[in-house]
Amino acid sequence: MTLRSLFYAFLTCLILSFAAPSFGQSGAGGDPKSLFDQLAKADFNEAEKLIGQIAATGDPRVVPALQAFVDGDLYFRKSDNLVFIAKAAGSNLELIDPLTGASAGEAPKNSVTKVRVNNNLRRVIRSAMGGLTLLSPDRAVRLQAADAVLRSPSPENLELVEAALAKETDGEVKARMEEARAVSLLSSDRSVGEKRAAIETIGNLGGRDAIGILRSVSGSIDESLKPDLDHAISSIESELQLWDMVQNVWYGLSLGSVLLLAAIGLAITFGVMGIINMAHGEMVMLGAYSTFVVQEAIRSNAPGLFDWSLAIALPVAFLVTGAVGFVIERGVIRFLYGRPLETLLATWGVSLILQQTIRSIFGPTNQEVGNPSWMSGSFALGGLTITWNRMWIVVFSLSIFVALLVVMKKSAYGLNMRAVTQNRRMASSMGIKTPWVDALTFALGSGIAGIAGVALSQIDNVSPNLGQSYIIDSFMVVVFGGVGNLWGTLVGALSLGVLNKFLEPSVGAVLGKILVLVLIILFIQKRPRGLFALKGRAVEA
Amino acid sequence: MTFKAKLGGALIAAILSTTAFHGAFAQEDTIKIGVLHSLSGTMAISETTLKDVMLMLVEEQNKKGGVLGKKLEAVVVDPASDWPLFAEKARQLISQDKVAAVFGCWTSSSRKSVLPVFEELNSILFYPVQYEGEESSRNIFYTGAAPNQQAIPAVDYLMNTEGVERWVLAGTDYVYPQTTNKILKAYLESKGVKSEDIMINYTPFGHSDWQTIVSDIKKFGSAGKKTAVVSTINGDANVPFYKELANQGIKAEDIPVVAFSVGEEELAGLDTGPLVGHLAAWNYFQSVDAPVNAEFIEQWHAFTKNDKRVTNDPMEAAYIGFNAWVKAVEAAGTTDTDAVLDSIIGVSVPNLSGGTSTVMPNHHITKPVLIGEIQADGQFEIVQQTPAVVGDEWSDYLPDSKDLISDWRKPMSCGNFNVATGKCGGKGS
Amino acid sequence: MITGFILRALEGKIVIAAAILLGIAILVPALNLLTPLDSALHIPTYIMALMGKYLCYALLALALDLVWGYCGILSLGHGAFFALGGYAMGMYLMRQIGSRGVYGNPVLPDFMVFLNWKELPWFWYGFDWFGFAMLMVLFVPGLLAFVFGWFAFRSRVNGVYLSIITQAMTYALMLAFFRNDMGFGGNNGLTDFKDILGFSVQADGTRAVLFAMSAIMLALCLLIASAITRSKFGKVLVGVRDAESRVRFLGFRVENIKLFTFVVSAMMAGIAGALFVPQVGIINPGEFAPANSIEVVVWTAVGGRGTLIGPIIGAILVNAGKSFFTGAFPEFWLYALGGLFIAVTLFLPKGIVGTIQHGFKARKALKAAAEAEKGRGNEQTVVQAAQAAE
Repeated sequence: MTLRSLFYAFLTCLILSFAAPSFGQSGAGGDPKSLFDQLAKADFNEAEKLIGQIAATGDPRVVPALQAFVDGDLYFRKSDNLVFIAKAAGSNLELIDPLTGASAGEAPKNSVTKVRVNNNLRRVIRSAMGGLTLLSPDRAVRLQAADAVLRSPSPENLELVEAALAKETDGEVKARMEEARAVSLLSSDRSVGEKRAAIETIGNLGGRDAIGILRSVSGSIDESLKPDLDHAISSIESELQLWDMVQNVWYGLSLGSVLLLAAIGLAITFGVMGIINMAHGEMVMLGAYSTFVVQEAIRSNAPGLFDWSLAIALPVAFLVTGAVGFVIERGVIRFLYGRPLETLLATWGVSLILQQTIRSIFGPTNQEVGNPSWMSGSFALGGLTITWNRMWIVVFSLSIFVALLVVMKKSAYGLNMRAVTQNRRMASSMGIKTPWVDALTFALGSGIAGIAGVALSQIDNVSPNLGQSYIIDSFMVVVFGGVGNLWGTLVGALSLGVLNKFLEPSVGAVLGKILVLVLIILFIQKRPRGLFALKGRAVEA
Repeated sequence: MTFKAKLGGALIAAILSTTAFHGAFAQEDTIKIGVLHSLSGTMAISETTLKDVMLMLVEEQNKKGGVLGKKLEAVVVDPASDWPLFAEKARQLISQDKVAAVFGCWTSSSRKSVLPVFEELNSILFYPVQYEGEESSRNIFYTGAAPNQQAIPAVDYLMNTEGVERWVLAGTDYVYPQTTNKILKAYLESKGVKSEDIMINYTPFGHSDWQTIVSDIKKFGSAGKKTAVVSTINGDANVPFYKELANQGIKAEDIPVVAFSVGEEELAGLDTGPLVGHLAAWNYFQSVDAPVNAEFIEQWHAFTKNDKRVTNDPMEAAYIGFNAWVKAVEAAGTTDTDAVLDSIIGVSVPNLSGGTSTVMPNHHITKPVLIGEIQADGQFEIVQQTPAVVGDEWSDYLPDSKDLISDWRKPMSCGNFNVATGKCGGKGS
Repeated sequence: MITGFILRALEGKIVIAAAILLGIAILVPALNLLTPLDSALHIPTYIMALMGKYLCYALLALALDLVWGYCGILSLGHGAFFALGGYAMGMYLMRQIGSRGVYGNPVLPDFMVFLNWKELPWFWYGFDWFGFAMLMVLFVPGLLAFVFGWFAFRSRVNGVYLSIITQAMTYALMLAFFRNDMGFGGNNGLTDFKDILGFSVQADGTRAVLFAMSAIMLALCLLIASAITRSKFGKVLVGVRDAESRVRFLGFRVENIKLFTFVVSAMMAGIAGALFVPQVGIINPGEFAPANSIEVVVWTAVGGRGTLIGPIIGAILVNAGKSFFTGAFPEFWLYALGGLFIAVTLFLPKGIVGTIQHGFKARKALKAAAEAEKGRGNEQTVVQAAQAAE
């Protein structure tokens, strides 16, 4: 313990000489409490200096208060300008002493004011906290601290990192700290040799951030190190170039899987039954709204279940949209079999009514659908950054595809459905209740659109207009892939996605989209029945 | 029979159109004002709120005794997000309903569509949304922000406070982002930013797949200089954009995004936790700490019977426009267009950020510029507030408009006076 | 032969409809211009502008009926031809503004000036000349229809596939016209027109002439469409609609027949767009929206497809309804429109005119059958009557 405080005193002296040479009135032994209290009346620039001083005290007790500052939980009392951490306590706020953590009673909200924080301060605080927590006994905290230093390199942290490095035993943390040391070292006044080694370390680290760090020092670095720097940058870049290609394919597949989701319900209603369901997009929208309703219910009744909200929403959405689909089929579409163009008009009418109904019930504005924790953030795979929500959507759409394929090919119901599609009269005389099969098939297609809506609510707006933005794309996918063929829809969706993503970087998103449409139009001229055309007379009907 | 059907059709059309003017036979002692906001179609998402605000303002004014001793009556029509229909409805409001003034429009296209109608029939339109500037009509008052009341102060803030040196100008491909980005590019270059440090990117309306663009931004941001994104992305496309940003782990501390079309209402559809610190520039935020704002929010919650409804910048612009009109009518003693056009210039009314806004001779108004950071609760923390800025209709950073000014006071009465040639009528040949 | 072609157009009810349209073309402007403001007979300019707009929509619906009702091509992209015609007219009107734009540039339209365009793009050349612009009103939609139809009909894309790719076509055009770089004013489109052929577009007189022109063009196109459908060619057309393969096997070049009709129809839509633009004062990419084109289909369906007069009535009725609902009950417009779509397809598959005609023919057939019965079974009459009743 005494050793540690000695060490801190030593560090403080060192840091102060870097951090706040001009702001010395509180001195090395400055009381962190009074420093915090000065924040009450400080503007952003003064606050930045105060944080430097708070960090310079080296007092580990300041960490919770700094964390509260980042989170926007630091308040000052209007009556005496004392700063507290505030926690919600009913309609009041509970005030907590920033250093001791002792409660200082409750206060009404209007008697305190938030200590303002902006991006710049957050950055400074995180860096300071990184320095302060490098020696934490908790491995995870140390790792986070090393990350914080890595993300905001500053020479001030160098000594801290080196001290921490000397004591570190854990391999992964140590490696991260080595990197943190390297980036801090680059902008310090250490020797050329040490810097050369640091450049190599960063070069091996790889990735965009490494390039950023290297480039940021390229102006100020010693001339003799320039070739090393350029070499490190170019070697990272050539590696990234390859990954960029892979990344593009991934983006394409991910876009394709979204298209697949939107189109797969249509592949049944349009592809198998031949019904042009213009209300298909609205089914997707209803699915998204079901997710919203489920999440609202969970938020108000069982917040702990939030991570399960999507799993709960799936069957709800399937049943809701399936039921709506069933009603539409029985109420409207069954009178229009054999008149595809009229179905188009009637279902367009249905779509307008559904849209306006949702608008009347929920209002025209976007609704908030949250991402469960397992759908948030991203992970790195080599040089790829893959976001979890896209990942799950790819997995999800493929599993729906497989499930659907199994239902169609293996189940008795699927057999009936295919029989009705191929020869209605024959199927009917074999005892299949064709109207019932029709209704169920349409309900199935609608239900699948509904669960697509659950997934799409994770990446797109949930508003009454949601469906409209997908309807044309979905039709393109089904027609391009070949009507009546689920595999065609799969291949169509994925190839359109990849094509779009390869066009986008070179011609821009707008022109890319136009080009894809034009290409589909031309393709349909060449192969009027799509990629995987059904053969035989049935298609002529 | 076909003759009958034909005649019947024509008759029905005529009858329907006349009955549409439901207010025509209302009592004569009201003053009518038109509310021209889309209640269906793609723009309903934004415009419906403004219709409610107008109805609330009219109700409040009537509680105070109306205007000139008469009650106000709002005539609401639905242009259905259809631009030619905007012109038709404007004509209906002015020539059939005989409204004294119209409050409405959201997109520039809708304003452009009705502009000739207002000039031809000599009526007044209050336009409450931020727009690209480059227009000044005798019959339109622009109470939203011009680019210098929003974009330029935001860029200044990033440059001075956050030390940003590299800029991504990302927008939806339409006129407002294109013009704003042209102005910003010229402005940045005048501040010594090199053109390789500016990246401009456009996306289609309702763009939902932002993976490539977000990773491009990441790439652009790894040049070792502090980078920021200036977003003029249109309302609907913002939700997927911010979701992708959050998921790809771009934090506001690394690459802040400052947006000009994202307000409280847009954030209401988003989980703002991962977005804390991204910025927006407006002339009003719901979080403004002023008694007049608290009162307005309370009225709004009472009117909509919903404590969760947020307030936003275009609502403030509608509030200012309405109050300025009321004050001008009372000063003129009549709702006659020409009299009001004369009396409204110089009128000062309180705005919701605690100051006052004045209607300037160029038909734009003065207002402070507020920069806010997104908070976890979907509100904005105001990190900077400028003194009131005069809306600049002709940008100083575009070569063809820098010599133009607008002054609708007599004797100049000109919307595009050229100070270089001393003539009204633009640049001349 | 040409006289025959023209004479054939003069079927009773078409003549009456055309005559009524011509009557309106004279009567409405006269009532607008010549009667005093407070007279009971006075038609306000607002109503006249509204009716002019309906007439343009009616022409668009008529154009669609020609391909859908008689040729079985359900185009979900007719809005694109309408918009292209409108843009051609809009470009002429923009060039007429000259130096009266806000920047006072004598050549460049305002939107080009503030986006720093230095010179007029090549495709704007010639549009300052009215004749050229009018030619383009016909030529551009016609060319697009020709190219599109050439490929589509040759490779025998038909039915719903054709509908979907026409929709893709108008969607792609919408995206393209939204781009500012295309040089058509981006999403704001073309607006703030000043005059046409030297007359102010806002003057009552000009409006009256534009209205009259709309009515006359509608009457003219109605006669042309009638002549086409009643000619021998028209019979083949109906054959293509009902049994395309059979007509093909009889030796007709089905794709050429379709192509011709498609192009004529696109040109009519272009004319409608060109008349629409000066009357409403704006053309922008919103006109390309697929939803607009689908709405045209419903006008046609409401009035009765394959009747020529039906679409005119349908367009006027639905749009009058739209004007009424969006003014009186704004929230209910989409319910009304959606309900109309469903009701018409379910209960009035022949549309208003089709249903009336059907009832009329059926009555006539019954009468004929009764007479035939009286005349002890003239088999031929009965067969004819039965056919007519179908």
